[in-house]
Amino acid sequence: MRPRRVAVTGTSSFLGSRLLRRLAEKQGPAQVVAVDVAAPARNLGVRHREIDLTRPGSDQELLDAFREEDVGAVFHAAFFTNPRRDTGLAHELESIGTLNLFAAAAAAGVGHVVLRSFTALYGASGQNPAFLTEDRPLHPDPSLAWARDKLEAEQHAVSFARRYPDLRVTVLRLAPLFGPKVQNFYTAIFDRRIVPVVMGYDPLLQLLHPDDALAAAEAALERAPRGAINVVPKTPIPLLTAVHLAEKIPAPVPHPMAYLLGDLLWTTGLGPAPGAFAHYARFGFVADGEKAQRELGFAPRYSSRDAVLAWIAYRKPRLAASKAEARA
Amino acid sequence: MTSAAKVVPFRPQGQPRRARRRRPNARRGAAAAPGLDLESLARLWSRFYFAWHSDEVDEFGYDPKFTETVLPFFEFLYTVWWRVDALGVENVPRKGPALIVSNHSGVLPWDGVMINLAVRHEHPARRACRMLALDMFALLPFLAPLLAQSGAVRANPENAERMLRKGELVGVFPEGVKGVGKRFKDRYQLARFGRGGFIRIALRTGAPIIPCAVVGAEEIHPALAKMNWLGKPLGLPYVPITPTFPLLGPLGLVPLPTRWSIEMAEPIPMDAYGPDAADDPMLVNRLAERVRGTIQGMIDARLAQRRSIWLG
Repeated sequence: MRPRRVAVTGTSSFLGSRLLRRLAEKQGPAQVVAVDVAAPARNLGVRHREIDLTRPGSDQELLDAFREEDVGAVFHAAFFTNPRRDTGLAHELESIGTLNLFAAAAAAGVGHVVLRSFTALYGASGQNPAFLTEDRPLHPDPSLAWARDKLEAEQHAVSFARRYPDLRVTVLRLAPLFGPKVQNFYTAIFDRRIVPVVMGYDPLLQLLHPDDALAAAEAALERAPRGAINVVPKTPIPLLTAVHLAEKIPAPVPHPMAYLLGDLLWTTGLGPAPGAFAHYARFGFVADGEKAQRELGFAPRYSSRDAVLAWIAYRKPRLAASKAEARA
Repeated sequence: MTSAAKVVPFRPQGQPRRARRRRPNARRGAAAAPGLDLESLARLWSRFYFAWHSDEVDEFGYDPKFTETVLPFFEFLYTVWWRVDALGVENVPRKGPALIVSNHSGVLPWDGVMINLAVRHEHPARRACRMLALDMFALLPFLAPLLAQSGAVRANPENAERMLRKGELVGVFPEGVKGVGKRFKDRYQLARFGRGGFIRIALRTGAPIIPCAVVGAEEIHPALAKMNWLGKPLGLPYVPITPTFPLLGPLGLVPLPTRWSIEMAEPIPMDAYGPDAADDPMLVNRLAERVRGTIQGMIDARLAQRRSIWLG
């Protein structure tokens, strides 16, 4: 008997496209369904369902697709990793889209859904313990639409997991991705020569190498554990260490001004993120990766420093060469 | 042989000034030139930074290289400024988890640094002591990263328990803000020991408790009064008025050169009670009170011996 297929949503996203490619290689293209408005690369040869999660009625389309394709597991990666000015669209995709997806998955008898989530949802605050475990309540800044929609997506996941005991729901909270070819607001900030930092603060960052993120996503599909799991790199890195490793100039902004300045730059289209993101440059939101080890058998191969060095090798090859020379 | 001063031209004569810049790969050449463009400034800054910071820290942000760099200053305070007498440091176990519990005083957390140095220098195993820092210090801009890099961790039960489970030596001040911010007239009177959280952590992890008494730190910043109204907008629980602060401005932050003693008592074993004992509030309170009594006794004995604040 042919095993049931795996569907991946958000296959134009960084993680989604990579996961799609990996699954197509491992399980064969005929076993993989891409759910996205954009078609995946033709040479992959995977099945494609053009469904817009933001459209009313997309739940029915999803239900039909899951039934017709005989989908047994879904990896839901249709999220915006970067904050958007168009918050209405983000809300429709992330909160309502996830609701539609879970409704269709539950009705179609899909056995397992993996939700891609973010450790940033814990919120950055001085009250955080040095390591956030999965049972820690999620308290992102309420003014951040970026986090609010993702938080709602997690709440939908929890509610469906409770109502449908046959549906296994895994929530993968990934640390911010950083590394070759990643494009998010972290890399956008590091692409500039001058990196704004909050004066007098140097939080520990967890920067996840894309290879580790991919390995964890695969392991989640394979083992299908229930509940939330943090996926984090081996060790964190202080923000300023990352800035100086990449040979950037830190521009310290006093924290009462950082929020205003961030909002000003964001509304004028110059900055990569709204002012409330300054929380993440003041306080750590370091998550504990022990549960991933236990339940996914996932041990990160890279530390945050490795992720920064990998990004440098990709983005600033000359600097990487001179660093290698200095080591030798 | 005579050699007159000769003008050596920077660039071959006759070549137009702009010629180099117009080359598309001009940057590549500029990397070697000592010009002060942003790129070389960033490179210089990065070299300066990594001259005294390591590029990898532990999971709590402890940076051994940074600590080595700032150590001489604290050693000066330890040996010359405060002439610390460390007694009973050998009571700290050579390895494995242990919790040093101490009185807290002196407005600024100098006592934590000195306990750390006492263990680092006078203990045969040269152990590093991870101090648990109060929120008011661990979250203060500028001080927060310095504390983290030198091995301190924000005081909260999860952090303490995690470090003890890793077998580290942890230092804690259960009096908290009430201790470090007490007024001069209340000196050497131990405040309430929190709610016994440190006992619960020791019971859960089975780590022995080492009572520690610091004498001499109460007088370094004699707080005559506190300005709580000024502290609030600055995010501080208090701003003290001492004979030198705020009268002398930043100079008033220089601590007075009293003579200190740091005394550690024999470890109190906690593993006999079992981890479930942490849920027994009566036992927790009794143990907390016992540790508090031990430390108050050590302080009183030491004060009775002391003849001078300055000379010990």
